[in-house]
Amino acid sequence: MSPAPADRLQGTLDLLILRTLVREPLHGWAISRRIRERSDDMLQVNQGSLYPALHRLEDHGKISAEWRVVDSGRRGKVYRLTAAGRRQLELEQDGWDEFVLAVSRVLQTA
Amino acid sequence: MGRVCPCCFSRPSDGIVVVTLRQIGRRFRALFARRAMDRELNDEIQLHVELEVEQLVRDGMRPDDARALALRSFGNIGRVKDDAREVRGVRLIEDLRKDLGFGVRTLGRNPVFTAAAVLTLAIGIGGTAAVFGALYGILFKPLPYPEPERIITVWQHHREEGIERGDVSPANFIDWRDRSRAFATLAAAEPYSMDYSGPEGAEHVGTWLVSAGFFETFGTAAVLGRTFTPDEYELGGNRVVVIGYDSWRRRFAGDSAVVGRTFVLDSVPHIIVGVLPRAFRFPPGRDVWVPKVFTESERSRRASAYYLVAGRLGPGVTLEAARGELGRVADELARDYPRTNAGTGVTLVPLTEQVVGNARARLWILMGAVAFVLLIACANVASLLLARTLRRQHELAVRAALGAGRNRIVRQLVTESLLIAAAGGVAGVLLANWLLGAIRALAPATLPGVDELSISPPVLAFGLAVTITTAILFGVAPALHAVSGDIREGLIGSSRSATAGRSRRRLQSSLVIGELALALVLVVSAGLLVRSFVGLLRVDRGFDSRNVLAVTVQSWGYYPTPPQRANFVREMQEQLATIPGVRAAGMTSSLPLAEAIGAEEAGFEIEGRPAAGPEQIPTVHAAAVTSGYFGTLGIALRGGRLFAETDELNSAPVAVVNETLVKRYWPDQNPIGKRIILRFAGPPVAREVVGIVSDVRHGGLQEAPRPTVFVPHAQSPTGANTFVLRTAADPRAGPALDAVRRLFRTTNAAMPIATVTTLDELLANSLAERRFNLALLGAFAGVALLLAAVGIYGVMSQVTNERTHEMGVRLALGATTGDVLRMVLREGGTLAIAGTGLGVAGALGLTGALRTMLFEITPADPVTYAGGIALLLSVALFACYIPARRATRIDPVTALRGE
Repeated sequence: MSPAPADRLQGTLDLLILRTLVREPLHGWAISRRIRERSDDMLQVNQGSLYPALHRLEDHGKISAEWRVVDSGRRGKVYRLTAAGRRQLELEQDGWDEFVLAVSRVLQTA
Repeated sequence: MGRVCPCCFSRPSDGIVVVTLRQIGRRFRALFARRAMDRELNDEIQLHVELEVEQLVRDGMRPDDARALALRSFGNIGRVKDDAREVRGVRLIEDLRKDLGFGVRTLGRNPVFTAAAVLTLAIGIGGTAAVFGALYGILFKPLPYPEPERIITVWQHHREEGIERGDVSPANFIDWRDRSRAFATLAAAEPYSMDYSGPEGAEHVGTWLVSAGFFETFGTAAVLGRTFTPDEYELGGNRVVVIGYDSWRRRFAGDSAVVGRTFVLDSVPHIIVGVLPRAFRFPPGRDVWVPKVFTESERSRRASAYYLVAGRLGPGVTLEAARGELGRVADELARDYPRTNAGTGVTLVPLTEQVVGNARARLWILMGAVAFVLLIACANVASLLLARTLRRQHELAVRAALGAGRNRIVRQLVTESLLIAAAGGVAGVLLANWLLGAIRALAPATLPGVDELSISPPVLAFGLAVTITTAILFGVAPALHAVSGDIREGLIGSSRSATAGRSRRRLQSSLVIGELALALVLVVSAGLLVRSFVGLLRVDRGFDSRNVLAVTVQSWGYYPTPPQRANFVREMQEQLATIPGVRAAGMTSSLPLAEAIGAEEAGFEIEGRPAAGPEQIPTVHAAAVTSGYFGTLGIALRGGRLFAETDELNSAPVAVVNETLVKRYWPDQNPIGKRIILRFAGPPVAREVVGIVSDVRHGGLQEAPRPTVFVPHAQSPTGANTFVLRTAADPRAGPALDAVRRLFRTTNAAMPIATVTTLDELLANSLAERRFNLALLGAFAGVALLLAAVGIYGVMSQVTNERTHEMGVRLALGATTGDVLRMVLREGGTLAIAGTGLGVAGALGLTGALRTMLFEITPADPVTYAGGIALLLSVALFACYIPARRATRIDPVTALRGE
């Protein structure tokens, strides 16, 4: 089931986060960094939204977190994708494709 | 800082709630480990900022600038923390406060709805709490003795006669006590009446003569003074008494210096050595305890049984072990004394069970009945809530559009339900208090603990639990339903959304059907009890109880010889008959419906048909009566003659028998003239049967008459005398009673009157329990019916409202008002019939539980069911009729415009 229209906005960030975590578990700053790099600096995630989104995803069981020693010997909270998260990712991805298709059709005809 | 993604500025809000264990765990942590989680979040953010700064420095920025930038791009850290915290759900408490405030305002704006819901709930919760209070006070409250489960009452078990809890004979008790090891103490209480010469003249005082170890068995210490010492159980030392709380208050005005005062009993001064606590009530019925001293004759008195025996199990002894041991002792006694003890066993009953008796079953039935009422009340409130959420769709849609998640809305609605439930609970507890007062007043005195029923902490706790449960029961379903489907459709203002309406209607219909079914079960149950009660009243009791006064004296001590007693009774009867206002007078040694005052059993043999052996002699009910007795009570003569003046001490012994005895022993013969051998309060006497009288329901209206033999008092002059008088008017009201008392006083001032009562009072007492059950169950059935009617009315009302448009169309197209009426009634009728059907099935299944309360009627009695169904259907249809009428008055034009 694709997210309802009002949730579309917030859902996009979720999608980005989930996609980023597919390859390997990362901590918060690394996620924002990865998104920025991949989008050639176009998408700079507002950190004020990143952490709430991460916590929400964790709350809903899409990602899990644990405290680990990260590079440079400091402690950080590292997030990884769960099975439910993987499923959610597929759903979000399909939804996003539909959305993009729909918008472009409108833009073409208008 | 570049193009900020437009997708990431919205505040996070809740999605669909799936409450997993993990989430509960997190909420828990959030609530209780708040600081730890804050620290974690701090650390996380800290790390992020540090890494960002390092990156910026690597990219070439100065450290200070880097830091400032990192912090700025992070946004308001405080807000980040806040948002993160909100996700954790610690905002719960603040939200709860907001919900409560909003709920109160909303409910206040709809006073009618709120009042209806609260009232309905108050009825349900109040009734349930009251019955639970009764259950608790009567059944559950532990007895006021230490380790009460180790106190056991012991009875004689007469296997042949089927008497399981028979009184114990003195010799048997003494042997049990001496031969048994299982009991730490075993004591007996003998009922004994003594004469007390107090300030108001001679009075009969009932006492218990108790054997050594009695108070130790219960572990009860005196509240003032002490209980008996071992040497007070010896002859000479036993001129002491212990009095109970009620006697202390009544006779001695609660004087705290009562210990040491004298209490003159049977003309012997007894010293009061102690006062017992209020809660001590064993054995019940008498309030004075005197030490028992066994006489020689009592040590061998085995045939006559009148002791109440109780004991405390020894340490570590189980009830089973005690049963086994006493059983063996009983077998030994049966071997040693076959004439009296053959077939006599022992029954051990824990005191708690003995005290409660069969009240348990009845109280649980009442609990079940009131639970039905509660369920109906909840269903009604749920229906009300469903209707209201329908009307609130617009408001809810706006809230959803503004960002409230479903979780939030459900929480809001459930909070409102809790508010309603809380108000209903408080009102319910007040109602329960009043109800308990009513129960106290109505309940028969035989139910233990009845006079102390009140709202105690356990009852309050129960009330609270019920309140919360009902809130969940009626609140959750409508709330979940309100958020099912797309809430935002409500914005369009369409209340005609098909699927949501259908599921709501289905829900409401099921609720109504359920309510009607429950109500029918209660109505049928009450109907069965009513028919039992009426049937009982209509049974041929064999005597006329109207305006009959009964005065009992024990004349043994005042007229020691038989001729004196015969004279006393004869003269008394003559003089009583002359009192103005007295139509007839008589005397009996055994009054129907009354407690036994003397011997009531006689060994019975027919001359020429001897019994196989002494143990096989059957016993019949027996009484010594005067000639006036039968006429005074209206007992009809069926053959032969009644007693006459000629039947006196030295003439031929005669007897009169009742129809049941004739049916049993002379089924095809005329008993008149036959001879019988009767052992009644003395050696066997051969008597000639001279008359047959109609049967009397002696033990109670529900007991079948027993075979009975009457002998003339002159020929068997017992001292157990109950004089019966039929007065012209109400015996208690007229002057006759005073005249009677005066007559007794002038005849013999020293002889006290033991009891004064009327047959109608005895009858009412014997019916008291039934009346109590009937009153309560009837009340519950009535309330249930009313609530169910309100329920179906509400639903049909709503249906008509919703279908206004449709009906307008029909009316415009030519339907008559009759058609519309029929349409509505058909819909309501379907619900009613479905509910009735379900109710009949339920009733057939459940009324079996009432079996012990019924009299000559089966739980599946068709007449009762037919009546109940008719009542329910008519009430339901009437409740549908009102909205149906409203429907007929719909103005098609307005309806079609469809506002």
